[in-house]
Amino acid sequence: MNCEACDLKELELENFQIREVLRCILHTIVFHRALGLVRPKDIDLELFEITYVQCGDAEVERKINEKIDQFISWVEKHPNKKSQICLSFYEVKNKQASWFTNKIERRSWEYWYINLNVAQHPKAHSSKSHHSKAVVDPGESASEDRSLRRAALEASLREVLFQIIKFVNEKKDHIPSIPSAEGVSFPYEITIPSSSDSAFGMDMFKRMLQSGHPTMLS
Amino acid sequence: MDLQSHPQPELGRLEQIVSQFLLKSLHIVLDSRIPSLRPARDRSGNVSGISRVRKSDKWFSLQLGDRPAALDNLHFWHRNLMDPMIIDIILVREGSNSSSSMDNVYSTAAVGTSVETVIERWVVQYESPRLMATPTGESSATYKKIYKKLIILLRSLYSTIRLLPGYRVFRLLSSLTQSYDFDIIYKVSSFTEPFSRAEEEVMKHYSFLPVEALSGRLCISVTYHQTLSDFNLEPLTAFPPTIITDYVGSPAADPLKAFPSSEKGIRATSFPLRGRGVRSPSSAPFQRPHSWTSGGHRAAPFTPNQPLSGSPPAFRMPYMPYDLPTQPLDIYGHGYQLSPPFSPSQSPSPPTYFSSSNPMYSRFSSETAPVTIPLPLVGRGSRYLSPNSSDPSRHSLPPLSPRSTRHDPSSQESPSGNRSFRKTEGLRIGEYSGTTNNYSGQKVLKDSKDDSGRFSGLLSSSGSPRIGFSRCSSRLSFQDDLDDCDFSGPFDVDDVDTTDSHASQNLDGKRASEFPSLAFPMTGKSPDAAVGVLVNMLRRAPPLRQDPSCCSSHSLKTEPEGEAGAASEFFMARKTADALEELRSYKEMKDLLLSKSGAHVVTREET
Repeated sequence: MNCEACDLKELELENFQIREVLRCILHTIVFHRALGLVRPKDIDLELFEITYVQCGDAEVERKINEKIDQFISWVEKHPNKKSQICLSFYEVKNKQASWFTNKIERRSWEYWYINLNVAQHPKAHSSKSHHSKAVVDPGESASEDRSLRRAALEASLREVLFQIIKFVNEKKDHIPSIPSAEGVSFPYEITIPSSSDSAFGMDMFKRMLQSGHPTMLS
Repeated sequence: MDLQSHPQPELGRLEQIVSQFLLKSLHIVLDSRIPSLRPARDRSGNVSGISRVRKSDKWFSLQLGDRPAALDNLHFWHRNLMDPMIIDIILVREGSNSSSSMDNVYSTAAVGTSVETVIERWVVQYESPRLMATPTGESSATYKKIYKKLIILLRSLYSTIRLLPGYRVFRLLSSLTQSYDFDIIYKVSSFTEPFSRAEEEVMKHYSFLPVEALSGRLCISVTYHQTLSDFNLEPLTAFPPTIITDYVGSPAADPLKAFPSSEKGIRATSFPLRGRGVRSPSSAPFQRPHSWTSGGHRAAPFTPNQPLSGSPPAFRMPYMPYDLPTQPLDIYGHGYQLSPPFSPSQSPSPPTYFSSSNPMYSRFSSETAPVTIPLPLVGRGSRYLSPNSSDPSRHSLPPLSPRSTRHDPSSQESPSGNRSFRKTEGLRIGEYSGTTNNYSGQKVLKDSKDDSGRFSGLLSSSGSPRIGFSRCSSRLSFQDDLDDCDFSGPFDVDDVDTTDSHASQNLDGKRASEFPSLAFPMTGKSPDAAVGVLVNMLRRAPPLRQDPSCCSSHSLKTEPEGEAGAASEFFMARKTADALEELRSYKEMKDLLLSKSGAHVVTREET
């Protein structure tokens, strides 16, 4: 069984946009992978004119919100850094117990990499302004920049959503049989950057060793 | 007759999957585009809690709620699963007034009625190179795999349809707080005309990856407008239509929002409602809640045409937003017919028109003026006459002349041409009032009676209250207009207005004495004494024009000469014809009263 990976387009956003953007992307992916009986739930973004769909599973929503909170905490400690969140779907295989291992093997069959570039744009009169020149009226230019960034982010987010839809349509053969008839049928895991970048890389390396398959970028 | 309700065992599993796939696709598309087909939703727009899921709703693991009845009528898809299912989402907009260039490009129907534009075309099809035969020997795993892929495909469809521009239009129409002059309809067919080249240039195509299904494949594709901003899909109103309870002339109407200030030069006409309040001059003319005036508010240059419309009541609800001074004009540029009464005026002098063109304004503004008119004639006595003048007596008519004369200067602030305008429009206003209700007219009558029985007399003496209102309302301020009034019976006022007991009492007990009472101030007595005598005379006044020998009142006997003299002077300002006419009407009134309760009248007089 193949393992597919989808590297989504990088999004440039600000701190206050992280929650909505991540909720939109994660829920959209899960909705397309929750192949059990679901009652779709339309959610309108507050920051953008985008409506995405949730599978309506309360546990999924709780888990996603929890991971997003952890990620936001991490971003606050590591500002102005590019980061990546990984959503992976796996199946559990009971490995035959041996003398040394009694683990339940996880085999991930799909990886989703959400690339974010969280930039903390300074407000007006800030000395850390990216636009270092002394602006006579920085308020207006800052607001214009923000609106432009917002529009760009909305367009990019739409692209990401279409990217997800295109991927789920094109890649279907690697999906294992539906184990559960209700809700989220496949177990999944959301991995956020850890306290250090190196640790984050190590986490990903460990995942790859566990799954036994190298990550293949689509 | 769909498969779910009437399963046909002979159909293969594949056929069943395909047919259900078609239905599910149609359900998703229509549920996301046609507000009227949506089942009950909660506030977030999601399917409300369903305790028991129908078996048909479990197909493809996507629970959408009850299928619209319209879908059941489309069961013909089951007849031939090979035919494509083409779902056209059509935007319907108002008529040919649209200036959108899109209308000229791909309007399928237009001109005068509505413009229909296909904004999306979904094509769901089971493509099979050969006639589909009932597959045999296929394992269950194959069907499961196909079914799984179709689940994913429908999930993709569900997500994608919410990212397209048409979903925004759907949400606009689903909004309960706004209304629009466009609508979305759908058309399902197996064959349709292809888009023109011009249409294709502005549309985008998106195809989902087909799902291989044994001998064929299931495909979904969509052609849609990339942007709908060219269609000018603006809300008509930010507020839901409401019923206006304080319609024109309603006593419940807030006077402060009804009438403009007299500073606008409207005081000329003595519309009785004036006393209810005066608006500030700065905002006066445009803030009346009534349809035809609020329309004038919105279109100040258009006010001259207000009286031309007889249909404001029909537009009462649409007019409601006009009450808000902040509403931009262009919002109502299409769809609403509020504007006809307020269409651009051809008048060469809109400002002056405004002061006079709206008879209601002019009438309202000078309500209290008539009260002071009698002063030039009878001094203080005239003031005393004011309540008396509520009596629809001919004696109240003379003061009209100086009253109207007095107001003429203010009305003359407008060009004289306005007077003719008022003349011509007075009748129209009456027609308007007549077509709607007599409330305003009645109110006019009521209030007029408070201030001047002359006016009520004028109104009541018209052939019909409605017409009388139309004629007199515009003529109240103008003597020349008064001359043309036909007053058939002053008692019509009482008939119309039964709430003014004061006026009715005056009618019974004082009308006969008005004539002599008017003459009283001419005798030269002190004002106070004159008032006292006048009161006595009024109390003992015999019936109007009654034979003096039948009356116990001494005033009539003792003052025939003075009465005549006073009458001659009193009527100087009036035309003889009017006086005679009024005399005639009063005589009729007297006869009527006498016939009913002649003894009671005498008794009242004696007391």
